Amino acid sequence: MQLDEAAAWPALLAAVQVQLEQGGSFFAGSQLTLDIGERVLEEAQLTELLALLEQHGVQLAGLATAAQASRKHARALGLTTRNSPRAGPPAEQVSQSPDDALLVVRTLRSGQVVRHHGHVTIVGDINPGAEVIAGGSVIVWGRLRGLVHAGALGDAKALICALELRPTQLRIAHLIARTPDGGSDLRETRVQPEIARIEQDYISVETWGAPRRTGT
Amino acid sequence: MARVITITSGKGGVGKTTTTANLGTALAMHGSRVATIDADIGLRNLDVVMGLENRIVYDLVDVVEGRARLRQALIKDKRLPELYLLPAAQTRDKDAVTAADMINLTNEMRSEFDFILIDCPAGIETGFRNAIAGADEVLIVTTPEVSAVRDADRVVGLVEAAEKGPARLIINRLNQRLVSRGEMLSMDEVVEILAVDPLGVVPEDELIVSTTNRGEAAVFNPSSYAGRAYINIARRLNGENIPIMELTEQTNLMDRLFGGLFGRRART
Repeated sequence: MQLDEAAAWPALLAAVQVQLEQGGSFFAGSQLTLDIGERVLEEAQLTELLALLEQHGVQLAGLATAAQASRKHARALGLTTRNSPRAGPPAEQVSQSPDDALLVVRTLRSGQVVRHHGHVTIVGDINPGAEVIAGGSVIVWGRLRGLVHAGALGDAKALICALELRPTQLRIAHLIARTPDGGSDLRETRVQPEIARIEQDYISVETWGAPRRTGT
Repeated sequence: MARVITITSGKGGVGKTTTTANLGTALAMHGSRVATIDADIGLRNLDVVMGLENRIVYDLVDVVEGRARLRQALIKDKRLPELYLLPAAQTRDKDAVTAADMINLTNEMRSEFDFILIDCPAGIETGFRNAIAGADEVLIVTTPEVSAVRDADRVVGLVEAAEKGPARLIINRLNQRLVSRGEMLSMDEVVEILAVDPLGVVPEDELIVSTTNRGEAAVFNPSSYAGRAYINIARRLNGENIPIMELTEQTNLMDRLFGGLFGRRART
């Protein structure tokens, strides 16, 4: 996560809080590296930041900064630091560009998690007990039988597509959907690719190839 | 030099101990020198299932902590001179040994045996990690039930992450009658979900109950279908190409796996 070098500290802290709250499950349990560029952070400020992160279940893996004073204060608090002069124009806000897509070419087994701020494409299955949490859309070229959260950073336009959509749970932005009860015949019935997206106020699932609305 | 094989599952009660005992016995019956190690410290069962619980003087923890030499702790089987058991401790728990201990132990034993089978405890924590630490190969046992397969999938992922893969699969307690009625997952369905190479299928067999209670391996009993299945699995471990299901003219395993899913009458 990159923090703006020039913004006033209280405003910046508030922005981080908003980002963490919007992100919700995206950040929970994750390890974060903070890049503060040239900014000098006092120990008190760092402690504030750590407390905020801890509130949201985020562990600070390290601090990347070009300011020696910041590194000194961070190390005093027991943090790992990295000297990284920020090259190029500073990032605009606290978030990173959502346009990076991640391609994962393997089956996710139960207990495995893929977390990414952009779009995620999985070529393989997502087994029950596995999770994909993405800021963008999630495309599964395989069987989606686990949990997928698309638009995890608040994007309600995110899509979830799969060749076989039989998730334990689907989440898009702030909405949660599960497959209806009673459909668990052990034998697999005929299966078609489907897309899930938010329509009005709920998650709607369409078969690929059914007459679609124009536009999207 | 021994092949060290850990038998694990994730889920408890699916047949790891029964498999270890029967596979070890079958391998020894066919001429290999075999040691079985019970890595389920605190909840040991392999000694009971092999009928050797009265003969325990020293155990795995005694050896690791230096109170006994390996030779003193190894128990020779009642019936087969080439089969040995290293029992677990019952009065300690899984924190009593470390992964390094297990690696040292298996290395010490390698030159003495053809096969070392490690009976892994249920779970994915310390006990599991210790049991796979010294392994060359991992066998995953599951029953054809959704919850067991779920756990097995987790374990496959952990085994791959520990770079002990690829694991192989034993499907235990398959009830062909229930499979034909669509009430139980078939072998093909389990293999499809787990995407792991199947080593064998062991059918549900009432004789297992009495044989494990008496501390005898089912492989000694020619009437036991499960026993026969374990013998076949042992032969496959030794490299023999034995078809898993006796079906039509299809003798190629791959043809059989992809040739269709429903209504097979299976004999192993």
